[in-house]
Amino acid sequence: MIIAKNIYKRFKDIVAVNGVSFTVEKGEFFGIIGPNGAGKTSTLRILCCLSPLDEGLLTVMGREVKVDDRVIKSNIGIIPQESDLDIDLTVYENLYLFSKFYGIENKKSLKLIEDALIFTELKAKSNSKINDLSSGMKRRLLIARALLNNPELIVMDEPTIGLDPQARHFIWQRLRRLNKSGTTMLLTTQYMEEAEQLCNRIIIMDKGKVISEGNPKEMIKKEIGSEVIEVRVEDAEASIISQIEKNLQNINYKKEKIGDTIYIHSQNDNGRDIVNKLTGMNHLYIHYRPATLEDVFLKLTGRGLTE
Amino acid sequence: MMKFYELPKLSHRVYYVWLRNLYSHKRFIVSTLVGNLGEPVIYLLAMGVGIGSYMKLTSGEPYLNFIAPGLIVSSVMFASIYECTFGSYLRMIHEKIYSSIVSTPINTDEVVMGDILWGTTKAVISGLIMFLVVMLFGIGSFIKLLPIIFLMLLVGFVFSSMALIVTALAPNFDFFTYFLTLFITPMFFFSGIFFPLDEFPNAVKIVSSFLPLTKAVNISRFMMQGSILNRNVLYDVFILFVWGLILYCLATLLIRKRLIK
Repeated sequence: MIIAKNIYKRFKDIVAVNGVSFTVEKGEFFGIIGPNGAGKTSTLRILCCLSPLDEGLLTVMGREVKVDDRVIKSNIGIIPQESDLDIDLTVYENLYLFSKFYGIENKKSLKLIEDALIFTELKAKSNSKINDLSSGMKRRLLIARALLNNPELIVMDEPTIGLDPQARHFIWQRLRRLNKSGTTMLLTTQYMEEAEQLCNRIIIMDKGKVISEGNPKEMIKKEIGSEVIEVRVEDAEASIISQIEKNLQNINYKKEKIGDTIYIHSQNDNGRDIVNKLTGMNHLYIHYRPATLEDVFLKLTGRGLTE
Repeated sequence: MMKFYELPKLSHRVYYVWLRNLYSHKRFIVSTLVGNLGEPVIYLLAMGVGIGSYMKLTSGEPYLNFIAPGLIVSSVMFASIYECTFGSYLRMIHEKIYSSIVSTPINTDEVVMGDILWGTTKAVISGLIMFLVVMLFGIGSFIKLLPIIFLMLLVGFVFSSMALIVTALAPNFDFFTYFLTLFITPMFFFSGIFFPLDEFPNAVKIVSSFLPLTKAVNISRFMMQGSILNRNVLYDVFILFVWGLILYCLATLLIRKRLIK
């Protein structure tokens, strides 16, 4: 569906995309994750033919973005990060005009708009003004809008950013359903939970490069293990840390320290033993939990603030 | 994807951009028209009726007859300028309409053309209302309507394109105030609408003679006085066409430069 070979995007003084390669197969739910400024959105914009590719080769559905932008744009659905809904128009008019932009005949568009409104549960809001919608509804309308041309590929930039949990879960369900019905999905996100929930394959980007690629569960297993024990230390760090190390002698583990927290990655499911060894200590906040993609992400991109 | 220097790529999709603007403006069309018409109508009353009652042209005609043709085209100019500066800037920067449209098979060039044609449409409607107002004063007749509409289309296109160039360069709304006070208002007064430029230095006359509004005023005056097919008129129409072409191409290039990154 998508083949990116060594693509580059440069702005005035930064290289936003620095030699990125990846492929997305038909039917996949593919995620690009990374911190702010990693080059996710730039990659997406090139892919959607909104931003010119500086170097490299990028094909979508077998067509080059540099050549066939019109054909590619006709066959993908784009869900942007920020709402660009037309606030002068109603919900229905927004969809109607977009169906015009896609060159869909009136006869067909009525049915398509109806289906899209039902799918996103916005039927009752057909005649509402955009400014009267909640942010969750706006995002649903953006999804409805992206479905009008029956796209083979849906591209989403941070589809649930800034939404409350209900709205977020609703959107996740809809996106999964679309994927099940055969639509290839590509999203960027900085929410690791989202990537874990949705994607069957991800790439992690940092500073314009791909630093890791794989299935989220396998990546967690490989990089972290199955469990993590977070230990938050208050004062007298050095002495407590050496105390912890002493308590965990003879136990197989890996650890990373960021700020006031130590992340202990258990090996061979020995997390319970580690917790038992630590419970006696004073001034410790201990959180014993399954390993997540966030651990992988933090380990690979470094835990310092990237901005 | 277009390069900066490529010629505009257009298709029937321009119509959908125009249609979008029609949809969004159908609610405010009355209020914006009243706004655009206010200025020329006030000039018509103040200068034509007010000052005009103290003046007579050498030909014996009332002063109002002298300024009416110019005021018709200037109402077209003002309407297109307002639509394609404030209106287009709002659509492009604040409402992100341009970027949402170009995520569909429609390209930037078509958005530009659609917006210019929309500005032209609103301008022609303003001009027509002005034409009717002028007719109420007994000037002009319906026979002139067809050539006048042609002229309005041309003038609307020229000034919508010019306004979109300013929009492409504008960092914020204040920029338009400079454009209006430093360029449009002087042009309005030195285009021969209110007085011939005979008394002014040559430099002023030469600069003025190339300005698009001066051309439009000349053509309008010829048309209103009945001599439509005249060599001077055809020359002025040609010059306006050239203005339109140059300004349109420039507007397309500059909007591309601003939007495609």
